[in-house]
Amino acid sequence: MSTIANDEAAVVIIGSGAGGGTMAYELTKAGIPCVVLEAGPFLKPEDYENDEWAAFGQMAWLDARTTSGSWRVAKDFSGLPAWLVKAVGGTTTHWAGATPRFLDYEFKARTTYGEIEGATLLDWPIDLAEMEPYYARAEDAIGSTHTNGRSPLPANNNYKVFANGADRVGYTRYATGPYGTNAEPYDGRPGSIQDGFNFQGDKHTSKWSTAVREIPRAIATGKCDLRPESQAVKITHDASGKVDAVLYVDEDGNLHRQAARIVCVAGNSIETPRLLLMSDSNRFPNGLANSSDQVGRNYMRHLTGSMYAWFDKPVRMYRGETMAGIIKDEVVNDPSRGFVGGYYMETLALGPAFLAAFIEPGMWGPDFTNMMDHYSKMAGMWIVGEDMPQATNRITLSNSVTDQWGLPAPNVHFDDHPNDVAMRTYAYEKAEALYKSVGAIGTHRTPPYPSTHNLGTCRMSANAEDGVVNKWGQAHDVPNLFISDGSVMTTGAAANPTLTIVALAIRQAEAITEMMTRGEI
Amino acid sequence: MNVSRRFVLLGTACAAVVGAVMTTTPVLAGSAVGSDAESKALLLRMVRVMYPHANFSDAPYQRSCEAILGAANKSIGQAVMFGQGMAELKAAGFAEMDDAGALAHLKSIEGTDFFQLARGTVIVSLYNDAEVWETLGYEGPSFDQGGYLNRGFNDLDWLPDPRITEL
Repeated sequence: MSTIANDEAAVVIIGSGAGGGTMAYELTKAGIPCVVLEAGPFLKPEDYENDEWAAFGQMAWLDARTTSGSWRVAKDFSGLPAWLVKAVGGTTTHWAGATPRFLDYEFKARTTYGEIEGATLLDWPIDLAEMEPYYARAEDAIGSTHTNGRSPLPANNNYKVFANGADRVGYTRYATGPYGTNAEPYDGRPGSIQDGFNFQGDKHTSKWSTAVREIPRAIATGKCDLRPESQAVKITHDASGKVDAVLYVDEDGNLHRQAARIVCVAGNSIETPRLLLMSDSNRFPNGLANSSDQVGRNYMRHLTGSMYAWFDKPVRMYRGETMAGIIKDEVVNDPSRGFVGGYYMETLALGPAFLAAFIEPGMWGPDFTNMMDHYSKMAGMWIVGEDMPQATNRITLSNSVTDQWGLPAPNVHFDDHPNDVAMRTYAYEKAEALYKSVGAIGTHRTPPYPSTHNLGTCRMSANAEDGVVNKWGQAHDVPNLFISDGSVMTTGAAANPTLTIVALAIRQAEAITEMMTRGEI
Repeated sequence: MNVSRRFVLLGTACAAVVGAVMTTTPVLAGSAVGSDAESKALLLRMVRVMYPHANFSDAPYQRSCEAILGAANKSIGQAVMFGQGMAELKAAGFAEMDDAGALAHLKSIEGTDFFQLARGTVIVSLYNDAEVWETLGYEGPSFDQGGYLNRGFNDLDWLPDPRITEL
């Protein structure tokens, strides 16, 4: 691994997940030296644990965070608004792997859905046609099944229930993917042995993550200086208003300054706006890149909700890939359903430890234990749909709570929009009908988990007053500052976001390379 | 990660315990609160009524009770609160109540810090117990056994095999 001096103005990438890890590989592959600052440790596949709570303790982002708003997470998990990973690879370590593309209408949410009261809808400054080549490259990087000739995953038990139910209620667009887990050996990594534990890191490495692909390859270029356990705490700028350095704290609490020619922030939709807000100065009193007052706003987390159903016969949903089934029929904009936008249904399995904690937080007594007693006869799915951006759903800096370094904790405020509530209710009814069609003797509507899809907060916009970054993810206010993660999403679409984050990062890395070549930045 | 850390994250009463963690276990009259035999029996009864599984043995419940005692004795404040809750449970005659009466009594105190400390601890310990996993039919870690590829990941036979790609 190369070493870049602290006073050498390098490209500094903050975060090593789907966005940051991809940036690191794409830029170093193009010959550009990069420093990658990652807050967490470099966990390797042999470190991952086949144990839900042990793995959670090993990799979850557990630094101080606070919550507010009417969402249930604020009541049940007040210190844990999001379920993200603090490790090299970021939340790609934890992701389950679904890789649908956004649909064209989803890039045009304001035009398609019209004016929705209380929502701050905006069209993206890019569309599907522009993204398609990058989606193809992202799918090849991830190894998405069902695309470009790659084999589908086989049907596991949970999928058998899900797909038969889908067929009986009249859905036609169901399959075991696309998923970012190898069904057969691909790209130097093995095919799945159906060991589950995708949320805990995949010891077998069949599942794509930047920790097993992009980061090792970036290091192999000799151009990448990866610094784990190095948390960025402030981005500074020069007299002209361009960013010139990143201050970060190492594992022992020592503060360092890394000079920067370009900074790419990829800390996920909570830490990215937090860092910009903490990077205020006399010149930027409301935070860096925040002349629009949009930094931190329009936080989205996808609709989400789960349905668990139990039967009088065994299912054993935990055997095999955690998530390996998807129904696309409801991903259309059909306001006659009572809401705009659409949602996916995706198989999901939890072990007893997580199921007990999340199936109905706070519940106890015989009705609860009756559900748990059916564990081996249970099937499960996740509902993931587009939620409405709202200006008041936002990340702010806490006035009262600080993290382990004495820095203000991020507060995550969220209220469901009526469109979110209508879609969730509709989706639960559809999920119940699906499972009942194959003989479910009981079902339960599980509320959203702490957010795994964290979107918006530094949104992409054509006009500087509407958002934080332009169509390249470049800050409207600061030409050598880029946002390289899901924070840039103008709207959330229904699709799981990782594929789009990777595609946007590949595209952004290409743009940065060209801008550097032209001497613009 | 220890149980009390999870409780801090998961419990509705988490604000009450954040910042209250002590480095030593407080003691009352020479022993940790709730550690006498009568208290342990009462706590076991409470946890069994709270999460009643007819086919679970006492052993995993007892391990959860130990986790509760560990959480309860993390600080003086916690221990005082917990000791009061146990005393009130005793005074209410909880040990002599039948199942329906015991359930109704717990329902009446479910908003208390005492109940929430117990519930928030049990929910992350009882179902994280290898014996419970076996009883529920969960096989646990799989990587070391070659995953489920040859161990039944697709052995469900009461429904037809569905297609795996879109038409």
